[in-house]
Amino acid sequence: MPQGALLQTKGIAVALADGISSSADSQVASQAAVVNFLDDYYCTSESWTVRRAAHCVLAASNSWLHAQTQRGAGRFDKERGFVCTFSALVFKGRQVHMLHVGDTRIYRVHPGSLEQLSQDHRVRISDEEQFLGRALGTGPHVDLDYASWPAEAGETYLLATDGAYGWLDAAAVDAVLQRCSGDLPAAARELVGLAQAQGSGDDATVQLVRIEALPAAEFQQLQAERDTLAMPPPLQPGMSFEGYTILRELHVSARSQVHLARDDATGQQVALKIPSVELRESPSSLDRFVLEEWVARRVDSAHVMRAAVADRPRQHLFVALEYIEGRTLSQWMTDHPRPDLEAVRSIVEQIARGLQALHRREMLHQDLRPANVIIDAAGSVKIIDLAAAHVAGLTEGTADADARAILGELQYTAPEYFTGAGGTAASDLFSLAVMTYQMLGGQLPYGLQVPLLRDPRDLARLQYTSLRRLRPDLPAWLDAVLRKALHPQAARRQEALSEFVHDLRTPGPEFLNDRPQPLLERDPVAFWRALALLLLVATLVLAGMLLSRH
Amino acid sequence: MAYLAPAEFVTKMVDAGESKMLMSTRDTLIRAFMAGAILALAAAFAVTVTVNTGNHLIGSLLFPVGFCLLYLLGFDLLTGVFTLVPLAVFDRRPGATWGGVFRNWWLVFVGNFAGALTVAVFMAIIVTFGFSEGPNAVGQKLGSIGELRTVGYAAHGGAGMLTLFVRGVLCNWMVSTGVVAAMMSTSVSGKVIAMWMPILVFFYMGFEHSIVNMFLFPSGLMLGGKFTLMDYFIWNEIPTVVGNLVGGMTFVGLTLYSTHYKTAPNRKVSVKRALA
Repeated sequence: MPQGALLQTKGIAVALADGISSSADSQVASQAAVVNFLDDYYCTSESWTVRRAAHCVLAASNSWLHAQTQRGAGRFDKERGFVCTFSALVFKGRQVHMLHVGDTRIYRVHPGSLEQLSQDHRVRISDEEQFLGRALGTGPHVDLDYASWPAEAGETYLLATDGAYGWLDAAAVDAVLQRCSGDLPAAARELVGLAQAQGSGDDATVQLVRIEALPAAEFQQLQAERDTLAMPPPLQPGMSFEGYTILRELHVSARSQVHLARDDATGQQVALKIPSVELRESPSSLDRFVLEEWVARRVDSAHVMRAAVADRPRQHLFVALEYIEGRTLSQWMTDHPRPDLEAVRSIVEQIARGLQALHRREMLHQDLRPANVIIDAAGSVKIIDLAAAHVAGLTEGTADADARAILGELQYTAPEYFTGAGGTAASDLFSLAVMTYQMLGGQLPYGLQVPLLRDPRDLARLQYTSLRRLRPDLPAWLDAVLRKALHPQAARRQEALSEFVHDLRTPGPEFLNDRPQPLLERDPVAFWRALALLLLVATLVLAGMLLSRH
Repeated sequence: MAYLAPAEFVTKMVDAGESKMLMSTRDTLIRAFMAGAILALAAAFAVTVTVNTGNHLIGSLLFPVGFCLLYLLGFDLLTGVFTLVPLAVFDRRPGATWGGVFRNWWLVFVGNFAGALTVAVFMAIIVTFGFSEGPNAVGQKLGSIGELRTVGYAAHGGAGMLTLFVRGVLCNWMVSTGVVAAMMSTSVSGKVIAMWMPILVFFYMGFEHSIVNMFLFPSGLMLGGKFTLMDYFIWNEIPTVVGNLVGGMTFVGLTLYSTHYKTAPNRKVSVKRALA
């Protein structure tokens, strides 16, 4: 069982592998699979999810086993080779993750019944003839089953090879667990003995896992941890701080200070963020501050800033992030006042990919603005500043469950935040569309009208300025796509980011209307003015006629 | 009492200016009205203290209570927005335009004036028993202040106008320093101390504050001061507003912004030149 930080970031892993009876090498294979998994899983990056880390490690094991099979007798004889089943449970935080291939089984033990959680990958030809459909070492690639669910204290899990579960039933397991109350190793030994006594010829192995207590929810842990940390001293270039050497100041704002630093152990450059003096007095702001690294660790995308590897215990409160060399999007806009459509599309698509990575984890960025997007020399785009992120999993059951707080730059925040409806993924789409519009047109689509909204009824009053007025050289369909993405009502925007990105390249028929736009739609004010003028003239003419009669 | 480094509070100034520009009309008006009213009440209080003790210094020492209160309550004075709001344009914040700045200034002016005028009417009622008798000592003082500071300037012609303008500049230099100083600290006591000093200086020296004058002069007109509404606007309010604008923007907003926000790179003194 791992200790300390590793327990938090990687959790507890339990694995069971079983060879095939026809192959002598299979024994080696199953042993190698389990040992490799337990060793390598704990060496993977801590910002990886359990699923990704386990898949990576098992793919490597599989390749090795497959190579061994190819080199040995198994190359021509499918019955002999480095083949084994593999099932593992990883308990991390308050979540259980299952990885499974082959016909070893994972059960959840209930009083009086066994709930099978894994599926047997077994191809059945007849009662006599059955063989493994999927296993480690059979092919160059392995297809793993993955599932994850919340853990509950008091649950018991049973991992068993076919030599064991074939001879045991729920009543037997129940009885043994009752007898050896609490002593799981003894219960496991007794279950194996029972299976062998029933006549199991195959290797019988069982593992029993009981969840005795769960850690506090991760975010609460984060807060508790924060309370034990001291506030960092003012950082100066050349100073040594927590194993980093400060190189220079990158950015100072009223909320935080960012310094470029070098990790003394690895020589890597990192961006260290420390809270500003004002922030230090507000616990809720500090919670948001530490959230940034938490989010950065969990989102794995080339277009979202990553957290720096942090394996040392900390004494001070700070956030260590990847250092991205480049310019902000706001600088890019100054440098390219009239960019061509393709350059803008490339940036928008990359930001969208980063946002999708956040949305897949039920996170909203909430503070998307040009200053929070960095473009490096190669043109790769990354979203930075995740401190305003809304994480659905963390705010469940709290007052902010619906993402109502306005945390981002007001000019880029979607109208629904101002009317009190709260943000959704469509709100991040709105912010992205505002940036797209600004990149192309150099202005905000609604000017400063959006932050002045207070009531959902005001939404209709928002006046969209057509992009064609600013850039007549751009196609009309582009304006229609942006107008849809910038619709004041979230429900009438594109349904997903991918749809918006797709529309920017291949507009659908709804945007390709060649019919010239009527004046009423193009410029309603001008239309009504002209109408009023016409009526005025008509009135004057009629009045004149009336007077001339008398 | 924490102290914020200048680089931190200057970004706070720009952020504050930006958020004021983005504030809805309703909020801007309400906050400006309350600020004008509280400051006017403090001015009435300071005049009362001065009359009762016969010492202008004691009145000046106590006058900052009003300013501290309205700042802590998050209300906006015209003098403060003169300093802060243009910074959003200078910093090229998205969407920030001079149009937005003038909109904010105009709304705050209207709100401050309405607030100060309301208190002026209330005070006139108090010092005259609901206009049933002549003004008491405080009322007479309020009535006479206006004369010297309108007709008095007018008597000097162009020189008077220059004096008035410079007094306006000096006033907002001090008052906006108070606004900014309050951002340097994170605690209430720290903010109050930082604001108290420059406000005391401005009131004792008799500098011209556009919002205090929005109270003093209408009061004077109501309580029998010998000057006209035109005198008040031409020989006081308008030059004061312009002076306040120049003083706040140049001496406080732009200086802090250019030195602490757009910091020039440190000059490197070569060893040879340093030794020579």
